[in-house]
Amino acid sequence: MIIVDNLYKRYQTSHGPGKWVLEDVSFVIPRNVSVGLVGRNGAGKSTLLRLIGGVDKPNRGHVEHRCRVSWPMGFGGGLQPSLTGRQNAKFICRIHGHEDDIPERLAYIQAFAEIGDAFDEPVKTYSSGMKSRLQFGLSLAFDFDVYISDEVTSTGDASFKQKASQAFKDLVGKSSLIMVSHSDGTLKDFCTAGIWLDKGRAHWFDHIEDALTAYKDSLNL
Amino acid sequence: MTPSSANSLRTSLAVTLSVWRALFLREANTRLSAGRGAAVWVLGEPILQTIIMLIIFTFLRIKVVSGIDVLAWLIIGLTFFPVFKRPGSAAQQAISANQTLFAYRQVRPVDTVFVRAFLEGFLVLLVILVIGGGAVFLFAVDLLPDDPGMMAAAFLGLWLMGLGYGLVASVAVELIPEFGKIFGIMMTPLYMTSGAILPIHNISEPYRSWVLYNPMVHGLETARAGVSSYYHVIAGTDLAYLYQVALMTIFLGLALHVRFETKLLTQ
Repeated sequence: MIIVDNLYKRYQTSHGPGKWVLEDVSFVIPRNVSVGLVGRNGAGKSTLLRLIGGVDKPNRGHVEHRCRVSWPMGFGGGLQPSLTGRQNAKFICRIHGHEDDIPERLAYIQAFAEIGDAFDEPVKTYSSGMKSRLQFGLSLAFDFDVYISDEVTSTGDASFKQKASQAFKDLVGKSSLIMVSHSDGTLKDFCTAGIWLDKGRAHWFDHIEDALTAYKDSLNL
Repeated sequence: MTPSSANSLRTSLAVTLSVWRALFLREANTRLSAGRGAAVWVLGEPILQTIIMLIIFTFLRIKVVSGIDVLAWLIIGLTFFPVFKRPGSAAQQAISANQTLFAYRQVRPVDTVFVRAFLEGFLVLLVILVIGGGAVFLFAVDLLPDDPGMMAAAFLGLWLMGLGYGLVASVAVELIPEFGKIFGIMMTPLYMTSGAILPIHNISEPYRSWVLYNPMVHGLETARAGVSSYYHVIAGTDLAYLYQVALMTIFLGLALHVRFETKLLTQ
């Protein structure tokens, strides 16, 4: 269960505090419910994911985890560009307390990412698709109750998308997802509930279809 | 992957220790693999710097006080001031250099500062051993310590001072970047008045007492006294003063890290 209570967030700009990105956002994500986030560009979807993942801190309000939550996957976050994929993977194994079984986890990550010899090249030489393959493999190598995905599949090729969706399907029942995606199909496939972000407010829908409808109606206005 | 129940039961100490270990290996890895022959340069650069300074100052024939070999006096100054400076400067940059790693909740800004200070302290120790060993065995400089405990105490005091400086400076430059310039300006006077390369024995009072406010003077003088028991330390040398300033700075730095942690993680 994840409790988001009365969340406010704005970013510091060069001329003082910016405008509120999120205002008074509150919701509860029950156990084993996968949620899709929808909203236009700049609505605060990635910001909300980063706050839920604990990467960034809100200005007011708080996020409470009552389960193990992954770091947000997507857009190369959390990878040190000058180090190789393998070195990054080792670091992440170590901070998660898996010093003993690093070889097995590395083998799993390498097999999942399927980036070949590039696994031993610096991450700065990776394409965005290769980065998301690595990130996806990295987070799946650990057991989380909730995985946070910020359009991680959108840069992948067809075979990777296939693989990712299979991996998501295998998680059903064990873990849930919080995801941002601009593809209706992906959202409908994996999410039951939906959150529509609009003008800094969050609207909760028990069914993802209703969230998509509300979002699309707002665009036609 | 297979579920591991141990993972959910990790204590915060266990998490911190595994983060330190991971960060240490990562930092060491970056230092040793950044560019051509990085492993050689890690020690080669400070060693060459010290040797060049030694050559210059030997030609200048700086007069030094009795009781210790001129070269030994210089070598201690040139190798022990970095025990403060290098960990301090590396730690100052720790937060901005590790920004990407704060994507993982386990990693906190203060961890990166500690790890950098440890790693640099270790490297500086290696440099001291290489230069000291070379001077003793190749050039027969009288550097074998009469009192190794005293030298170790001086080393630890200077390193703690570097750690304290790093803890404070890392927060300061993140919140107010202009502090970086001010600290840069401060470093040279601190070096020149520490008695590392310029003797301060013959400075007249009351100015000498002013120089003694520089905590590094006490560390360097104690280290020299550890090498030769005949060395005349400057009147007023007090290793406890270095430790007091260091511990106060560390306390202040930790307090700053606790107070501003949210701000350091917020973008």
